[in-house]
Amino acid sequence: MSGPTLYVALVAFGLLAGVASGLLGVGGGTLMVPFLTLAAGLSQHQAEATSLLVILPTAIAGTLALRRRGVGNPGLALRFGVIGSVGAIAGALLALALPASTLRLVFAAFVAVVGLRLIRDGLHSGERA
Amino acid sequence: MRTLASVATDGAHGRRLRVDRQLVAIGVIGGLLSGLLGVGGGIIMVPLLVFWAGYGQREAHALSLGAIIPISIAGIATYGIAGEVRYGPAIALAAGSIAGAQLGAGMLAKIDERLLKLIFGLFLVGVAVLMVVRG
Repeated sequence: MSGPTLYVALVAFGLLAGVASGLLGVGGGTLMVPFLTLAAGLSQHQAEATSLLVILPTAIAGTLALRRRGVGNPGLALRFGVIGSVGAIAGALLALALPASTLRLVFAAFVAVVGLRLIRDGLHSGERA
Repeated sequence: MRTLASVATDGAHGRRLRVDRQLVAIGVIGGLLSGLLGVGGGIIMVPLLVFWAGYGQREAHALSLGAIIPISIAGIATYGIAGEVRYGPAIALAAGSIAGAQLGAGMLAKIDERLLKLIFGLFLVGVAVLMVVRG
């Protein structure tokens, strides 16, 4: 894909990733990074960097929407995230120093474990205390 | 007085009002993953908040989503200095993404927690398969 077609696809795909962000509490980066490398031809590092730039306004919009509905505590969430940003700088520096193919496989294994655990929990348990 | 006392001693309320050591650890781990993989970090923060810190699924999602704001700023700055950010695709994706997030958040306030776990779990397994197929 290239030119206008690519940009139409990017907007449409962004919509999908945005629903995931608002609904699942994730920025949709796990959807956008593969999309940006496969469909938009970005390198792994470019895709990750660009994904973060999409995640920022999406997370702001999602947080504002939740705040209007009285879900969660935005002040605590922001303070929590400021501490997390120390990890983010370290993680990005590590990514810039490492080959992305290795990291992708490690992450895939981790994501599978967490995903299966959530499915099991959703299927077999009720509300947590 | 009664209210203040119960807030101060109630574990659940205490977690909601301050960033304790557990939240510091989860934030740093989430940040590391976010910077490393270009994701928000919710993919690890939400399970840790639910399974380790004992938050409800909905509350964990809201906390994670807010935390992603400063976490993504730090990642963007780091990658930006290295010249990796592509602004055109980011603007196009963000245009769709912001509209989608409103839709998703609207559904979050109403959705069943067990269903949310199932959807999130299936989503993660799908992502894992995609990553392996690609690699």
